Amino acid sequence: MGYDPKNPMEGRISDLGPRYYGDFLPPVIKENKGKWLYHEILEPGVLVHVSETGAKVFTVRCGSPRLVSVNYVRDICDIADKHCDGFVRFTTRNNIEFMVDAFEKVAPLKETIKSYGNKFPIGGTGAGVTNVVHTQGWIHCHTPATDASGPVKAVMDDLFEYFGSMTLPAQVRIALACCLNMCGAVHASDIAILGVHRKPPMIDHARITGVCELPLAIASCPLGAVKPAKAIVNGEEIKSVQINAERCMFCGNCYTMCPALPMADAEGDGIAILVGGKVSNARSAPKFSKLVVPFLPNTTPRWPETVECVRQILVAYEKDAKKYERLGEWAERISWEKFFEKTGLPFTEKSIDDYRLAYDTWRTSTQFKYTSHTAAYTNK
Amino acid sequence: MATIEHKGKSYEVDEDGFLLKGADEWDENWVDYVKGVEGIAEITDEHQKVIDALQEYYKKNGIAPMVRILSKTTGFPLKRIYELFPSGPGKGACKMAGLPKPTGCV
Repeated sequence: MGYDPKNPMEGRISDLGPRYYGDFLPPVIKENKGKWLYHEILEPGVLVHVSETGAKVFTVRCGSPRLVSVNYVRDICDIADKHCDGFVRFTTRNNIEFMVDAFEKVAPLKETIKSYGNKFPIGGTGAGVTNVVHTQGWIHCHTPATDASGPVKAVMDDLFEYFGSMTLPAQVRIALACCLNMCGAVHASDIAILGVHRKPPMIDHARITGVCELPLAIASCPLGAVKPAKAIVNGEEIKSVQINAERCMFCGNCYTMCPALPMADAEGDGIAILVGGKVSNARSAPKFSKLVVPFLPNTTPRWPETVECVRQILVAYEKDAKKYERLGEWAERISWEKFFEKTGLPFTEKSIDDYRLAYDTWRTSTQFKYTSHTAAYTNK
Repeated sequence: MATIEHKGKSYEVDEDGFLLKGADEWDENWVDYVKGVEGIAEITDEHQKVIDALQEYYKKNGIAPMVRILSKTTGFPLKRIYELFPSGPGKGACKMAGLPKPTGCV
């Protein structure tokens, strides 16, 4: 029975939840679930897991742009049908994984994958740069300060060699969020690309009464910059808000709550770069990423400044870090002043925390290293 | 922005069918219109109680009540509110009561 708009609840099925994951496991995974002994990375993008029963499963990992068409998914299904009995999975970084149960099946699978050109690049394993976790951007969201798919494509084009190789000291996780809602992994990634605004919101007094719950807009401000105020619209006094531009740091929270406070701006908006976050507990505790570049412009369609900056950080890290050392661990070991010197990034006052718990991020020690950055102050 | 005509009266609405001018344009006729789009057969006393509670709270506080407050003031558990308004307290009841469209990450 088709959906009947006159009787929306008629024959309605709800609260089924997702399908049980066990229904989609390849037989070799199902049979050896919970029995895996060890695994190896045979080459970039190809893994083997060995079970205590002696069974093996070979996994070929491919990059994906995350935002894909149904035709693209059908291509994935064709490959899975041809080589993997119709089974396939996606990783938590939106890579595609094809699995086969014998070594002889790996080469033909790779050949089929490669026959699609660069549609399904093989890689993303070990100490390399895997897929970029990213968000909606100008494709679909209404609060972004930058695009998501565009910069991700530009950055991954530039770093493509690192996707299909494992030559870095440790894995480097790059993430992008198009505003500081930080949907995704930006706050805890080795290199994070973040959309930022630089101008306070505009107030649309004419619309605000009908579309906005004023107390929500006021409470949404982390700095108390939004205040209730009266405004005159068509000679009539209405309730509205007032924004103290001196206090505003352009987070955009008030626009999220109130559609009458738009703040996107072509020249004002751009990208900030954060580095040094991680989520694993390996060797050191999880870390938040820290702001190192406060602003890069939105230069569509290739974001050359952002691409160059990410590469600059990655290359300095690749050259200098020890094996297994994540980017944040490296920066903390050599000290952040050395990080800025080695990457060649200028240090700005924007990197100095000034929000509530800021004090703990300042240096309460005489321990530091002389660098080109300290020289700028000591030579005065 | 679109305009909706219902029984000889016109309302200014956004693309999701929420009243753009809120209480200024809201009337019983609007309830009758939303009833049709939301798949509600008849406005009962229970529906009216939810609408009244929403409007009273909005008038007093300038925001829509949190779901738990709506449940507490009306005495209806969330399940019952969904039975009354199949689209839920936000898209269903708030729309019918003429409150602004819910915002945030919804």
